[in-house]
Amino acid sequence: MRHVFAIAGRELRSLFASPVAYVVLTLFSVLAGFFFLTGVLQFQEYVIRMQTFQLSEQLAELNLNDHVIAPFLHVMSVVLLFLIPGLTMGLFASEKANGTQELLLTSPIKIWELVIGKFLAAAVFVALLVALLALYPALLFWYGNPELGKTLTGLGALFLVGLAYAAIGAFASSVTRSQLIAFLLAFVLLLLLWMLGFLADLGAAGGGTGGDTVSDVLRYLSTAEHFESIVMGLVDTKDLAYFAAMVAAFLILTKAAVESVRWR
Amino acid sequence: MIEARGLTKRYGELVAVDGVSFSVAPGEVVGFLGPNGAGKTTTMRILTGFLPATDGTAAIAGHDIFEDPLAARRSVGYLPESPPLYPEMSVEGYLDFVAKIKDVPRGARASAVDRALERCGLREARRRIIGSLSKGFRQRVGLAQAIVHDPPVLILDEPTVGLDPIQIREIRALIAGLADQGQGERARTVILSTHILPEVEAICRRVLIIHRGRIVVDRPLEELKRGGASLEESFTRAIAREPGADEPVAAAGAP
Repeated sequence: MRHVFAIAGRELRSLFASPVAYVVLTLFSVLAGFFFLTGVLQFQEYVIRMQTFQLSEQLAELNLNDHVIAPFLHVMSVVLLFLIPGLTMGLFASEKANGTQELLLTSPIKIWELVIGKFLAAAVFVALLVALLALYPALLFWYGNPELGKTLTGLGALFLVGLAYAAIGAFASSVTRSQLIAFLLAFVLLLLLWMLGFLADLGAAGGGTGGDTVSDVLRYLSTAEHFESIVMGLVDTKDLAYFAAMVAAFLILTKAAVESVRWR
Repeated sequence: MIEARGLTKRYGELVAVDGVSFSVAPGEVVGFLGPNGAGKTTTMRILTGFLPATDGTAAIAGHDIFEDPLAARRSVGYLPESPPLYPEMSVEGYLDFVAKIKDVPRGARASAVDRALERCGLREARRRIIGSLSKGFRQRVGLAQAIVHDPPVLILDEPTVGLDPIQIREIRALIAGLADQGQGERARTVILSTHILPEVEAICRRVLIIHRGRIVVDRPLEELKRGGASLEESFTRAIAREPGADEPVAAAGAP
Protein backbone atom coordinates (compact mmCIF):
# COMPACT_ATOMS: atom_id res chain seq x y z
CA MET A 1 0.00 0.00 0.00
CA ARG A 2 2.91 2.37 0.71
CA HIS A 3 4.00 2.02 -2.89
CA VAL A 4 0.48 2.79 -4.12
CA PHE A 5 0.47 6.08 -2.22
CA ALA A 6 4.01 6.91 -3.36
CA ILE A 7 2.99 6.42 -7.01
CA ALA A 8 -0.29 8.32 -6.61
CA GLY A 9 1.38 11.17 -4.73
CA ARG A 10 4.06 11.60 -7.35
CA GLU A 11 1.53 11.53 -10.15
CA LEU A 12 -0.63 14.21 -8.52
CA ARG A 13 2.37 16.38 -7.72
CA SER A 14 3.52 16.17 -11.35
CA LEU A 15 0.03 16.94 -12.56
CA PHE A 16 -0.05 20.11 -10.49
CA ALA A 17 3.54 21.03 -11.29
CA SER A 18 2.70 21.04 -15.00
CA PRO A 19 0.00 23.18 -16.63
CA VAL A 20 -2.19 20.13 -17.38
CA ALA A 21 -4.12 20.15 -14.10
CA TYR A 22 -4.80 23.89 -14.24
CA VAL A 23 -5.81 23.84 -17.89
CA VAL A 24 -8.23 20.96 -17.32
CA LEU A 25 -9.70 22.57 -14.18
CA THR A 26 -10.07 25.98 -15.83
CA LEU A 27 -11.65 24.71 -19.02
CA PHE A 28 -13.95 22.51 -16.99
CA SER A 29 -15.13 25.40 -14.80
CA VAL A 30 -15.63 27.66 -17.81
CA LEU A 31 -17.74 25.07 -19.60
CA ALA A 32 -19.62 24.21 -16.43
CA GLY A 33 -20.39 27.88 -15.82
CA PHE A 34 -21.62 28.30 -19.38
CA PHE A 35 -23.90 25.28 -19.32
CA PHE A 36 -25.19 26.06 -15.86
CA LEU A 37 -26.05 29.60 -16.84
CA THR A 38 -27.89 28.52 -19.99
CA GLY A 39 -29.74 25.90 -17.93
CA VAL A 40 -30.87 28.41 -15.35
CA LEU A 41 -31.90 30.99 -17.96
CA GLN A 42 -33.90 28.40 -19.83
CA PHE A 43 -35.62 27.33 -16.62
CA GLN A 44 -36.50 30.93 -15.91
CA GLU A 45 -37.96 31.34 -19.35
CA TYR A 46 -40.13 28.23 -18.89
CA VAL A 47 -41.40 29.54 -15.62
CA ILE A 48 -42.27 32.92 -17.11
CA ARG A 49 -43.93 31.39 -20.14
CA MET A 50 -46.04 29.04 -18.06
CA GLN A 51 -47.06 31.84 -15.76
CA THR A 52 -48.08 33.97 -18.74
CA PHE A 53 -50.22 31.19 -20.17
CA GLN A 54 -51.54 30.20 -16.75
CA LEU A 55 -50.41 26.59 -17.15
CA SER A 56 -50.49 25.91 -13.45
CA GLU A 57 -50.33 22.12 -13.78
CA GLN A 58 -47.13 22.14 -15.81
CA LEU A 59 -45.77 24.85 -13.59
CA ALA A 60 -46.26 22.62 -10.57
CA GLU A 61 -44.29 19.87 -12.27
CA LEU A 62 -41.29 22.06 -12.94
CA ASN A 63 -38.52 21.58 -10.42
CA LEU A 64 -34.88 22.46 -10.14
CA ASN A 65 -33.66 18.88 -9.85
CA ASP A 66 -35.22 17.52 -13.01
CA HIS A 67 -35.06 20.64 -15.12
CA VAL A 68 -31.79 22.29 -14.15
CA ILE A 69 -29.50 19.94 -12.24
CA ALA A 70 -30.11 16.71 -14.15
CA PRO A 71 -29.62 18.23 -17.63
CA PHE A 72 -26.57 20.08 -16.32
CA LEU A 73 -24.99 16.85 -15.03
CA HIS A 74 -25.86 15.17 -18.27
CA VAL A 75 -24.03 17.79 -20.31
CA MET A 76 -21.06 17.67 -17.97
CA SER A 77 -20.81 13.90 -18.35
CA VAL A 78 -20.41 14.55 -22.08
CA VAL A 79 -17.74 17.17 -21.35
CA LEU A 80 -15.88 14.51 -19.34
CA LEU A 81 -15.68 12.40 -22.50
CA PHE A 82 -13.21 14.98 -23.78
CA LEU A 83 -11.50 16.02 -20.59
CA ILE A 84 -10.72 12.71 -18.92
CA PRO A 85 -8.68 11.39 -21.86
CA GLY A 86 -6.64 14.60 -21.64
CA LEU A 87 -6.07 13.94 -17.99
CA THR A 88 -5.14 10.27 -18.29
CA MET A 89 -3.24 10.27 -21.57
CA GLY A 90 0.09 10.73 -19.83
CA LEU A 91 -0.37 8.20 -17.02
CA PHE A 92 1.66 5.43 -18.62
CA ALA A 93 2.59 6.80 -22.04
CA SER A 94 4.77 9.55 -20.55
CA GLU A 95 6.64 7.02 -18.40
CA LYS A 96 7.53 5.14 -21.54
CA ALA A 97 8.54 8.25 -23.47
CA ASN A 98 10.57 9.56 -20.51
CA GLY A 99 12.37 6.30 -19.86
CA THR A 100 11.08 6.37 -16.29
CA GLN A 101 9.26 3.13 -16.95
CA GLU A 102 12.64 1.48 -16.58
CA LEU A 103 12.98 2.94 -13.08
CA LEU A 104 9.51 1.77 -12.05
CA LEU A 105 9.82 -1.73 -13.42
CA THR A 106 13.26 -2.30 -11.90
CA SER A 107 12.07 -1.12 -8.48
CA PRO A 108 10.76 -3.58 -5.91
CA ILE A 109 7.14 -2.68 -6.59
CA LYS A 110 4.43 -4.89 -8.02
CA ILE A 111 2.70 -3.96 -11.24
CA TRP A 112 -0.74 -3.87 -9.63
CA GLU A 113 0.65 -1.34 -7.12
CA LEU A 114 1.73 0.82 -10.04
CA VAL A 115 -1.64 0.52 -11.78
CA ILE A 116 -3.70 1.19 -8.65
CA GLY A 117 -1.45 4.11 -7.71
CA LYS A 118 -1.92 5.74 -11.11
CA PHE A 119 -5.66 5.13 -11.02
CA LEU A 120 -5.89 6.52 -7.50
CA ALA A 121 -4.24 9.74 -8.65
CA ALA A 122 -6.73 10.04 -11.50
CA ALA A 123 -9.60 9.28 -9.10
CA VAL A 124 -8.52 12.08 -6.75
CA PHE A 125 -8.49 14.45 -9.68
CA VAL A 126 -11.95 13.34 -10.81
CA ALA A 127 -13.19 13.91 -7.25
CA LEU A 128 -11.76 17.42 -7.46
CA LEU A 129 -13.58 18.04 -10.73
CA VAL A 130 -16.88 16.87 -9.24
CA ALA A 131 -16.34 18.97 -6.12
CA LEU A 132 -15.74 22.01 -8.30
CA LEU A 133 -18.86 21.22 -10.25
CA ALA A 134 -20.90 20.88 -7.06
CA LEU A 135 -20.49 24.62 -6.50
CA TYR A 136 -23.00 25.38 -9.27
CA PRO A 137 -25.95 23.33 -7.96
CA ALA A 138 -24.97 24.60 -4.49
CA LEU A 139 -25.95 28.10 -5.69
CA LEU A 140 -29.46 26.84 -6.31
CA PHE A 141 -29.83 25.96 -2.65
CA TRP A 142 -29.27 29.61 -1.89
CA TYR A 143 -32.12 30.80 -4.11
CA GLY A 144 -34.41 27.80 -4.30
CA ASN A 145 -35.10 24.49 -2.68
CA PRO A 146 -33.92 21.53 -4.74
CA GLU A 147 -33.80 18.11 -3.10
CA LEU A 148 -30.45 17.54 -1.43
CA GLY A 149 -30.51 13.75 -1.74
CA LYS A 150 -31.23 13.74 -5.43
CA THR A 151 -28.56 16.37 -6.06
CA LEU A 152 -25.90 14.41 -4.20
CA THR A 153 -26.89 11.20 -5.96
CA GLY A 154 -26.50 12.96 -9.29
CA LEU A 155 -23.03 14.22 -8.38
CA GLY A 156 -22.16 10.72 -7.20
CA ALA A 157 -23.25 9.35 -10.57
CA LEU A 158 -20.98 11.82 -12.31
CA PHE A 159 -18.09 10.72 -10.07
CA LEU A 160 -18.71 7.07 -10.97
CA VAL A 161 -18.79 7.91 -14.66
CA GLY A 162 -15.53 9.82 -14.19
CA LEU A 163 -13.92 6.79 -12.52
CA ALA A 164 -14.98 4.47 -15.33
CA TYR A 165 -13.62 6.96 -17.88
CA ALA A 166 -10.36 7.25 -15.96
CA ALA A 167 -9.89 3.46 -15.96
CA ILE A 168 -10.47 3.39 -19.72
CA GLY A 169 -8.10 6.34 -20.17
CA ALA A 170 -5.45 4.57 -18.09
CA PHE A 171 -5.76 1.54 -20.29
CA ALA A 172 -5.43 3.61 -23.47
CA SER A 173 -2.31 5.23 -22.03
CA SER A 174 -0.76 1.87 -21.18
CA VAL A 175 -0.79 0.52 -24.72
CA THR A 176 1.20 3.29 -26.39
CA ARG A 177 4.11 5.61 -25.79
CA SER A 178 2.44 8.50 -27.60
CA GLN A 179 0.18 10.70 -25.52
CA LEU A 180 -1.71 11.80 -28.63
CA ILE A 181 -2.57 8.22 -29.53
CA ALA A 182 -3.55 7.56 -25.91
CA PHE A 183 -5.88 10.55 -26.01
CA LEU A 184 -7.54 9.59 -29.29
CA LEU A 185 -7.89 5.95 -28.33
CA ALA A 186 -9.46 6.81 -24.99
CA PHE A 187 -11.79 9.37 -26.57
CA VAL A 188 -13.02 6.98 -29.26
CA LEU A 189 -13.52 4.15 -26.75
CA LEU A 190 -15.49 6.43 -24.45
CA LEU A 191 -17.59 7.85 -27.27
CA LEU A 192 -18.46 4.38 -28.57
CA LEU A 193 -19.33 3.19 -25.10
CA TRP A 194 -21.48 6.24 -24.58
CA MET A 195 -23.36 5.76 -27.83
CA LEU A 196 -24.04 2.04 -27.53
CA GLY A 197 -27.43 3.04 -26.15
CA PHE A 198 -28.35 4.84 -29.39
CA LEU A 199 -27.35 1.77 -31.34
CA ALA A 200 -29.57 -0.32 -29.10
CA ASP A 201 -32.50 2.03 -29.71
CA LEU A 202 -32.03 1.86 -33.45
CA GLY A 203 -31.84 -1.92 -33.29
CA ALA A 204 -35.03 -2.06 -31.26
CA ALA A 205 -36.76 0.28 -33.71
CA GLY A 206 -35.76 -2.03 -36.56
CA GLY A 207 -37.68 -4.66 -34.65
CA GLY A 208 -36.15 -7.89 -35.96
CA THR A 209 -36.62 -11.02 -33.88
CA GLY A 210 -33.71 -11.74 -31.59
CA GLY A 211 -32.61 -8.11 -31.98
CA ASP A 212 -34.04 -7.46 -28.56
CA THR A 213 -31.42 -9.50 -26.73
CA VAL A 214 -28.65 -7.78 -28.62
CA SER A 215 -30.20 -4.40 -27.89
CA ASP A 216 -30.47 -5.27 -24.22
CA VAL A 217 -26.83 -6.26 -24.04
CA LEU A 218 -25.73 -3.12 -25.87
CA ARG A 219 -27.91 -0.98 -23.67
CA TYR A 220 -26.47 -2.63 -20.57
CA LEU A 221 -22.91 -1.92 -21.77
CA SER A 222 -23.61 1.74 -22.47
CA THR A 223 -22.32 4.14 -19.81
CA ALA A 224 -25.04 6.68 -20.61
CA GLU A 225 -27.79 4.23 -19.72
CA HIS A 226 -26.51 3.61 -16.17
CA PHE A 227 -25.60 7.21 -15.62
CA GLU A 228 -29.08 8.42 -16.54
CA SER A 229 -30.83 6.03 -14.22
CA ILE A 230 -28.73 7.11 -11.22
CA VAL A 231 -29.17 10.79 -12.07
CA MET A 232 -32.94 10.25 -12.10
CA GLY A 233 -32.50 9.26 -8.49
CA LEU A 234 -32.77 5.50 -8.93
CA VAL A 235 -29.76 4.00 -7.19
CA ASP A 236 -29.81 0.38 -8.27
CA THR A 237 -27.08 -2.13 -7.41
CA LYS A 238 -27.20 -3.16 -11.07
CA ASP A 239 -25.87 0.26 -12.05
CA LEU A 240 -23.29 0.38 -9.27
CA ALA A 241 -22.09 -3.09 -10.27
CA TYR A 242 -21.73 -1.87 -13.83
CA PHE A 243 -19.33 0.91 -12.85
CA ALA A 244 -17.36 -1.35 -10.51
CA ALA A 245 -17.03 -3.95 -13.27
CA MET A 246 -15.92 -1.34 -15.82
CA VAL A 247 -13.20 -0.02 -13.53
CA ALA A 248 -12.01 -3.50 -12.58
CA ALA A 249 -12.00 -4.79 -16.16
CA PHE A 250 -10.01 -1.89 -17.54
CA LEU A 251 -7.53 -1.88 -14.67
CA ILE A 252 -6.90 -5.58 -15.26
CA LEU A 253 -6.34 -4.86 -18.95
CA THR A 254 -4.00 -2.02 -17.98
CA LYS A 255 -1.98 -4.30 -15.74
CA ALA A 256 -1.66 -6.81 -18.56
CA ALA A 257 -0.55 -4.08 -20.97
CA VAL A 258 2.10 -2.78 -18.56
CA GLU A 259 3.29 -6.29 -17.90
CA SER A 260 3.51 -7.06 -21.61
CA VAL A 261 6.91 -5.33 -21.73
CA ARG A 262 8.13 -8.45 -20.01
CA TRP A 263 6.58 -10.86 -22.50
CA ARG A 264 8.38 -9.59 -25.54
CA MET B 1 27.64 -10.87 -5.82
CA ILE B 2 26.36 -11.30 -9.37
CA GLU B 3 25.99 -14.77 -10.84
CA ALA B 4 24.75 -15.02 -14.42
CA ARG B 5 24.18 -18.52 -15.70
CA GLY B 6 23.48 -19.07 -19.37
CA LEU B 7 21.43 -15.92 -19.89
CA THR B 8 19.77 -16.04 -23.29
CA LYS B 9 17.37 -13.60 -24.86
CA ARG B 10 15.70 -14.29 -28.18
CA TYR B 11 13.40 -11.97 -30.07
CA GLY B 12 11.86 -14.40 -32.53
CA GLU B 13 14.71 -15.35 -34.83
CA LEU B 14 17.10 -12.78 -33.44
CA VAL B 15 19.32 -13.89 -30.59
CA ALA B 16 20.26 -10.75 -28.64
CA VAL B 17 22.04 -12.50 -25.79
CA ASP B 18 23.33 -16.01 -26.21
CA GLY B 19 24.25 -18.08 -23.15
CA VAL B 20 26.01 -15.38 -21.18
CA SER B 21 27.58 -16.62 -17.95
CA PHE B 22 29.86 -14.74 -15.61
CA SER B 23 30.25 -14.03 -11.96
CA VAL B 24 31.32 -10.87 -10.22
CA ALA B 25 32.74 -10.90 -6.70
CA PRO B 26 31.82 -8.29 -4.05
CA GLY B 27 33.74 -5.08 -4.52
CA GLU B 28 34.70 -5.79 -8.10
CA VAL B 29 34.36 -3.07 -10.72
CA VAL B 30 33.73 -4.65 -14.08
CA GLY B 31 33.73 -2.96 -17.46
CA PHE B 32 31.18 -4.41 -19.85
CA LEU B 33 32.50 -3.71 -23.32
CA GLY B 34 31.24 -4.39 -26.78
CA PRO B 35 30.24 -2.76 -30.03
CA ASN B 36 26.79 -1.22 -30.34
CA GLY B 37 24.13 -3.90 -30.57
CA ALA B 38 26.31 -6.55 -28.96
CA GLY B 39 23.80 -7.24 -26.19
CA LYS B 40 25.15 -5.08 -23.36
CA THR B 41 21.92 -3.24 -22.65
CA THR B 42 19.81 -6.38 -22.99
CA THR B 43 22.02 -8.25 -20.50
CA MET B 44 21.79 -5.36 -18.05
CA ARG B 45 18.03 -5.15 -18.46
CA ILE B 46 17.76 -8.83 -17.64
CA LEU B 47 19.95 -8.47 -14.55
CA THR B 48 17.88 -5.55 -13.28
CA GLY B 49 14.61 -7.41 -13.83
CA PHE B 50 13.29 -5.10 -16.55
CA LEU B 51 13.25 -7.90 -19.12
CA PRO B 52 12.88 -11.62 -18.57
CA ALA B 53 15.44 -13.98 -20.07
CA THR B 54 14.31 -16.56 -22.60
CA ASP B 55 16.63 -19.00 -20.90
CA GLY B 56 19.09 -19.07 -18.02
CA THR B 57 18.95 -17.09 -14.82
CA ALA B 58 21.00 -14.89 -12.56
CA ALA B 59 21.35 -14.22 -8.87
CA ILE B 60 22.04 -10.82 -7.38
CA ALA B 61 23.36 -10.72 -3.82
CA GLY B 62 22.11 -14.30 -3.49
CA HIS B 63 18.57 -13.58 -4.75
CA ASP B 64 17.44 -15.26 -7.92
CA ILE B 65 16.08 -12.62 -10.31
CA PHE B 66 13.12 -14.77 -11.34
CA GLU B 67 12.29 -16.59 -8.13
CA ASP B 68 12.77 -13.70 -5.75
CA PRO B 69 12.53 -10.67 -8.04
CA LEU B 70 11.64 -8.08 -5.41
CA ALA B 71 14.62 -8.88 -3.18
CA ALA B 72 16.92 -8.99 -6.20
CA ARG B 73 15.66 -5.59 -7.40
CA ARG B 74 16.09 -4.13 -3.93
CA SER B 75 19.81 -5.02 -4.11
CA VAL B 76 20.40 -3.22 -7.40
CA GLY B 77 20.92 0.39 -8.27
CA TYR B 78 20.42 0.88 -11.97
CA LEU B 79 21.20 3.78 -14.25
CA PRO B 80 19.71 3.09 -17.69
CA GLU B 81 21.22 4.58 -20.82
CA SER B 82 18.94 7.60 -20.61
CA PRO B 83 18.52 8.60 -16.97
CA PRO B 84 14.93 7.91 -15.83
CA LEU B 85 14.02 11.41 -14.66
CA TYR B 86 10.77 13.32 -14.23
CA PRO B 87 11.59 16.76 -15.68
CA GLU B 88 8.89 18.58 -13.69
CA MET B 89 10.11 17.38 -10.28
CA SER B 90 12.73 18.92 -8.03
CA VAL B 91 15.93 16.95 -7.48
CA GLU B 92 15.07 16.42 -3.84
CA GLY B 93 11.44 15.45 -4.48
CA TYR B 94 12.53 13.00 -7.14
CA LEU B 95 15.08 11.28 -4.91
CA ASP B 96 12.55 11.08 -2.10
CA PHE B 97 10.12 9.36 -4.46
CA VAL B 98 12.79 6.89 -5.61
CA ALA B 99 13.68 6.16 -1.97
CA LYS B 100 10.02 5.37 -1.31
CA ILE B 101 9.61 2.93 -4.17
CA LYS B 102 12.98 1.33 -3.37
CA ASP B 103 11.75 0.50 0.13
CA VAL B 104 13.99 2.82 2.15
CA PRO B 105 12.32 2.86 5.59
CA ARG B 106 10.44 6.08 6.35
CA GLY B 107 12.74 7.14 9.17
CA ALA B 108 15.88 6.70 7.09
CA ARG B 109 14.57 8.39 3.97
CA ALA B 110 15.66 11.97 4.63
CA SER B 111 19.20 10.92 5.48
CA ALA B 112 19.35 8.54 2.50
CA VAL B 113 18.39 11.40 0.19
CA ASP B 114 20.92 13.71 1.85
CA ARG B 115 23.68 11.17 1.47
CA ALA B 116 22.92 10.59 -2.22
CA LEU B 117 22.83 14.36 -2.85
CA GLU B 118 26.12 14.79 -1.04
CA ARG B 119 27.90 11.96 -2.81
CA CYS B 120 26.83 13.10 -6.25
CA GLY B 121 27.67 16.75 -5.64
CA LEU B 122 24.06 17.86 -5.86
CA ARG B 123 23.68 19.64 -2.54
CA GLU B 124 23.47 23.08 -4.15
CA ALA B 125 21.01 21.82 -6.76
CA ARG B 126 18.61 20.04 -4.43
CA ARG B 127 15.74 22.44 -4.99
CA ARG B 128 16.28 22.86 -8.71
CA ILE B 129 13.74 21.47 -11.16
CA ILE B 130 15.27 18.55 -13.03
CA GLY B 131 14.12 19.84 -16.43
CA SER B 132 16.22 22.97 -15.96
CA LEU B 133 19.47 21.10 -15.22
CA SER B 134 22.37 20.64 -17.64
CA LYS B 135 23.03 17.22 -19.09
CA GLY B 136 25.93 16.62 -16.74
CA PHE B 137 23.80 17.43 -13.72
CA ARG B 138 20.99 15.22 -14.94
CA GLN B 139 23.45 12.37 -15.19
CA ARG B 140 24.42 13.07 -11.57
CA VAL B 141 20.78 12.90 -10.56
CA GLY B 142 20.60 9.60 -12.43
CA LEU B 143 23.52 8.30 -10.38
CA ALA B 144 22.05 9.64 -7.14
CA GLN B 145 18.83 7.78 -7.97
CA ALA B 146 20.83 4.56 -8.41
CA ILE B 147 22.53 4.82 -5.01
CA VAL B 148 19.78 6.34 -2.86
CA HIS B 149 18.85 2.99 -1.31
CA ASP B 150 22.52 2.10 -0.79
CA PRO B 151 22.46 -1.06 -2.93
CA PRO B 152 25.31 -3.57 -2.87
CA VAL B 153 25.25 -3.76 -6.68
CA LEU B 154 25.36 -0.89 -9.16
CA ILE B 155 24.56 -1.42 -12.83
CA LEU B 156 25.37 1.54 -15.03
CA ASP B 157 24.52 1.57 -18.73
CA GLU B 158 26.83 3.94 -20.63
CA PRO B 159 26.96 6.50 -17.84
CA THR B 160 29.06 9.05 -19.74
CA VAL B 161 27.43 8.97 -23.14
CA GLY B 162 26.67 12.41 -24.57
CA LEU B 163 28.63 14.38 -21.97
CA ASP B 164 31.41 16.87 -22.63
CA PRO B 165 35.00 15.97 -21.63
CA ILE B 166 34.85 17.83 -18.33
CA GLN B 167 31.55 16.25 -17.35
CA ILE B 168 32.90 12.85 -18.38
CA ARG B 169 35.85 13.32 -16.04
CA GLU B 170 33.57 14.33 -13.19
CA ILE B 171 31.19 11.41 -13.66
CA ARG B 172 34.08 8.95 -13.89
CA ALA B 173 35.57 10.26 -10.67
CA LEU B 174 32.16 9.96 -9.08
CA ILE B 175 31.75 6.34 -10.17
CA ALA B 176 35.26 5.46 -9.01
CA GLY B 177 34.37 7.03 -5.65
CA LEU B 178 31.13 5.06 -5.38
CA ALA B 179 32.96 1.85 -6.14
CA ASP B 180 35.57 2.48 -3.47
CA GLN B 181 33.01 2.69 -0.69
CA GLY B 182 32.94 -0.08 1.87
CA GLN B 183 35.31 -2.92 2.56
CA GLY B 184 35.18 -6.70 2.07
CA GLU B 185 31.64 -8.05 1.92
CA ARG B 186 30.18 -4.56 2.26
CA ALA B 187 32.11 -3.32 -0.75
CA ARG B 188 30.00 -2.18 -3.65
CA THR B 189 29.99 -4.18 -6.86
CA VAL B 190 29.79 -2.19 -10.06
CA ILE B 191 29.07 -3.25 -13.62
CA LEU B 192 29.49 -0.49 -16.12
CA SER B 193 28.82 -0.76 -19.83
CA THR B 194 30.54 1.41 -22.35
CA HIS B 195 32.16 1.39 -25.72
CA ILE B 196 34.68 4.00 -24.73
CA LEU B 197 37.88 2.13 -24.00
CA PRO B 198 39.73 4.75 -21.93
CA GLU B 199 36.75 4.75 -19.60
CA VAL B 200 37.35 1.11 -18.76
CA GLU B 201 41.02 1.81 -18.14
CA ALA B 202 40.14 4.69 -15.87
CA ILE B 203 37.64 2.90 -13.66
CA CYS B 204 37.55 -0.87 -14.05
CA ARG B 205 39.80 -3.64 -12.89
CA ARG B 206 38.21 -6.38 -14.95
CA VAL B 207 36.86 -6.47 -18.46
CA LEU B 208 34.05 -8.47 -20.01
CA ILE B 209 33.81 -8.14 -23.78
CA ILE B 210 30.53 -9.13 -25.35
CA HIS B 211 30.12 -9.57 -29.07
CA ARG B 212 27.02 -10.76 -30.95
CA GLY B 213 25.44 -11.75 -27.67
CA ARG B 214 28.33 -13.85 -26.38
CA ILE B 215 31.08 -13.20 -23.90
CA VAL B 216 34.32 -13.34 -25.86
CA VAL B 217 36.72 -12.02 -23.22
CA ASP B 218 36.58 -12.17 -19.43
CA ARG B 219 39.82 -11.20 -17.73
CA PRO B 220 41.51 -8.65 -15.50
CA LEU B 221 42.49 -5.41 -17.21
CA GLU B 222 46.17 -5.84 -16.39
CA GLU B 223 46.28 -9.20 -18.11
CA LEU B 224 44.72 -7.75 -21.23
CA LYS B 225 47.32 -5.02 -21.37
CA ARG B 226 50.24 -7.29 -20.65
CA GLY B 227 52.92 -7.40 -23.31
CA GLY B 228 52.36 -3.80 -24.29
CA ALA B 229 49.13 -4.48 -26.18
CA SER B 230 46.71 -1.63 -25.79
CA LEU B 231 43.19 -2.33 -24.72
CA GLU B 232 42.07 -1.19 -28.11
CA GLU B 233 44.14 -3.86 -29.84
CA SER B 234 42.80 -6.58 -27.57
CA PHE B 235 39.29 -5.34 -28.12
CA THR B 236 39.55 -5.23 -31.90
CA ARG B 237 41.14 -8.65 -31.97
CA ALA B 238 38.48 -10.13 -29.70
CA ILE B 239 35.56 -8.93 -31.77
CA ALA B 240 37.23 -9.60 -35.09
CA ARG B 241 37.05 -13.35 -34.69
CA GLU B 242 33.84 -15.29 -34.93
CA PRO B 243 32.60 -15.94 -31.41
CA GLY B 244 32.90 -19.58 -30.51
CA ALA B 245 35.36 -20.30 -33.36
CA ASP B 246 37.98 -21.23 -30.81
CA GLU B 247 38.74 -20.68 -27.14
CA PRO B 248 38.09 -16.95 -26.98
CA VAL B 249 39.64 -16.22 -23.61
CA ALA B 250 42.98 -17.65 -24.56
CA ALA B 251 42.91 -15.99 -27.95
CA ALA B 252 42.42 -12.51 -26.58
CA GLY B 253 45.55 -12.60 -24.47
CA ALA B 254 47.79 -14.19 -27.08
CA PRO B 255 50.53 -12.01 -28.54
